[in-house]
Amino acid sequence: MRRAVPYRRVILGLVAGLMAAFLLGVAVGAVWIPPIETIRLIAWKLGLTARPEDVSRATEVIVFQLRLPRVLLAAIVGGALAASGAVFQGLFRNPLADPAIIGVSSGAALGAVLVIVTVGAGSLGAFAVPLAAFVGAIATAFVVYRLARIGPAVQVATLLLAGIAIAAVISSFMSLVMSFSGEEIRDIYAWLLGGLVAQGWRSVEIVSPVVILGVAGAWLVAHELNLISLGEERAAQLGVELDRLKRTSIAVGALLAAAAVSVAGVIGFVGLMTPHLLRLVIGSDHRRLVPASVLGGAILLILADLIARTVVAPSELPVGVVTALIGGPFFIYLLRREGRKAGARV
Amino acid sequence: MSEPPLVLERVSATYGREPVLREVDLEVGPGEIVGLVGPNGSGKTTLVRVASRTLRPTAGSIRVGGQDLTRMSAHDAARLVAVVPQDVVPAFTFTALELVLMGRSPYRTRWGGGGPQDWAKVREAMAATQVQHLADRPVDELSGGERRRVVLAQALAQDAPVLMLDEPTTHLDVRHVLDLLSIVRRLAEVEGTAVLAIHHDLNLAASTCDRLVALHRGAVVASGTPASVVTSALLREVYGVEADVSTDPATGRPSVRIGVPSEPAAPLGRRAHVVGGAGRGAPILRGLAEAGYDVSAGVLHASDTDADVAERLNLVRVSVPPFSAIDAEAEEACRRLMFEADLLVVCDAPFGPGNVANLRLALATARSGVQTILLEQIPIEERDFTDGEASQIWSELRSVATVARSYEELELVLR
Repeated sequence: MRRAVPYRRVILGLVAGLMAAFLLGVAVGAVWIPPIETIRLIAWKLGLTARPEDVSRATEVIVFQLRLPRVLLAAIVGGALAASGAVFQGLFRNPLADPAIIGVSSGAALGAVLVIVTVGAGSLGAFAVPLAAFVGAIATAFVVYRLARIGPAVQVATLLLAGIAIAAVISSFMSLVMSFSGEEIRDIYAWLLGGLVAQGWRSVEIVSPVVILGVAGAWLVAHELNLISLGEERAAQLGVELDRLKRTSIAVGALLAAAAVSVAGVIGFVGLMTPHLLRLVIGSDHRRLVPASVLGGAILLILADLIARTVVAPSELPVGVVTALIGGPFFIYLLRREGRKAGARV
Repeated sequence: MSEPPLVLERVSATYGREPVLREVDLEVGPGEIVGLVGPNGSGKTTLVRVASRTLRPTAGSIRVGGQDLTRMSAHDAARLVAVVPQDVVPAFTFTALELVLMGRSPYRTRWGGGGPQDWAKVREAMAATQVQHLADRPVDELSGGERRRVVLAQALAQDAPVLMLDEPTTHLDVRHVLDLLSIVRRLAEVEGTAVLAIHHDLNLAASTCDRLVALHRGAVVASGTPASVVTSALLREVYGVEADVSTDPATGRPSVRIGVPSEPAAPLGRRAHVVGGAGRGAPILRGLAEAGYDVSAGVLHASDTDADVAERLNLVRVSVPPFSAIDAEAEEACRRLMFEADLLVVCDAPFGPGNVANLRLALATARSGVQTILLEQIPIEERDFTDGEASQIWSELRSVATVARSYEELELVLR
């Protein structure tokens, strides 16, 4: 497998793809808004041109109040999930790793569910749910990490096992909470399935600084993630402080996943698929993989959200259902391919 | 005179509570290749791990270029010590060039990419290991030999004054083994790199290292030139094997031949006694033992080759100290063995005042009716150091014994 496409061209292609997906995402809906009108409106908002007089006031409201924040949020969440996936896959030296695997997503979900049940999803909850999800995600990552730490070292196998165990405990606890809940159960399900419904600008404002911080962190550990893919011992021989790298990577991956889950619920497979597909095109260097994954994840989730809100219009599918429908078969394909590769190697 | 590049002083290490290194002292000078030998579990790999800062010692000090390795960051240590592991199988697909570039990571700052210096070192390392043409190939598509050379290039790119090799030749074919070791030799000679190499193959270690250090149960049991370390005594003590160590006439290095104990034939129920000396009896002792004879030997001089072989074959034997004459006690003991034997073989060993008593005993035994065979590949005149006494007895022996002119003939006579 020779790499035919140079990295720079891939990045340019991804940027172009992101812009196209972005304009398409804003254009499609109950009312078709031509991309050129969106561009002119944005240019006006940025102070570059005068207000385009031929664009109606209604269009302006749809673009700025409804579509734009939603598409932006999809881009940010998708980018965060994909970057988180790239970090976890690198750290665990396993292309099947995903934020969900170390229990981060379940932790976030539990936090959110507790708030929905006690406070409700309305007024106060609108702010408290993301915050609780965030706290839940970070707390879970921390607990899993501590559990996996035996003596001075954190073994990847124990980390994965601890993640699975904690996720199981959390999900049964969640079922318990839900079985005692009444009418909130619909809100809980809506949130659990993942959605980017009508969140407005506030969610964008809350998560974007966190995601930017997380992506910068992922970029910082990228080089050392390359080294650790040669094995822990070899990485140490090449100058990597293993425990520091593990701590940082888990914190960064959990931060990114928590940010995503806190506003959009559990959206699977974006973190799994994006880095994997891009690796086939640009190779495994994480310093390339992280930026490319951010762009790729953004495109993927914008398109998934587009499908989610159009296929059964005027009603909507949870976006998590769409990513699972695409990602599930992909995961099975990967699993079989990895299995064959392992079989061939032995 | 400055300190050697690598100095270990009284280094101990444990895995859990299990001590794996006990007060190891070791030095490697500039341009020197030191081989680390010892059986599995003797602590070789642990020693390399400790000396490359991937495992913390429980006691002792490790200094690289005079600096305390245990107080360094991993980043700093990787600039001073490079390790060539047995093999590297990346979890993801990297090209050979990307892999070698990773060897420069101890020199990068957090935000920096590769500078001109890094590229120069990478090119140099890839040229030395002849992997330039593989630069853009994914590592998982390379052959085992190619991948090892890429991994070696990665370690060379670290540009460290100390290089450690952890069994770098396992699973490689002979051609690649020699290529790899000659690259390392050139590096030691040209760059003055201090090399510490774990070797599984003693012959390879003896022929490619300047000095050997033998580890046994975590402690150094021998250290010095290959000839002084690789001895049959060491092999017996450390590896628990019997082996012949000879000097390779071409290189002057010790060469090890592990004796594979052959399956003994079913016992014949016949006793044979061999009068040997100077190694003339060794093949006969082995042959008779393998044929199922209950073999005894004597009188031998200790540390004579025949005595060694008899000892190794665990035969009944009578021996006296080197260079001393056969005393009455030994003579009496040997007489019994000879008279009780069903077969007596007298070899064409040199006879002098120290062992001519053997011939007198043999003559008496042959005259008593015990079947006797003389080996006479070398004429008695050339090995008589007794002023005629030995020749006299030999000619009397010929009249009562069967004579074999060679080992082959002896074998025929025996059948």
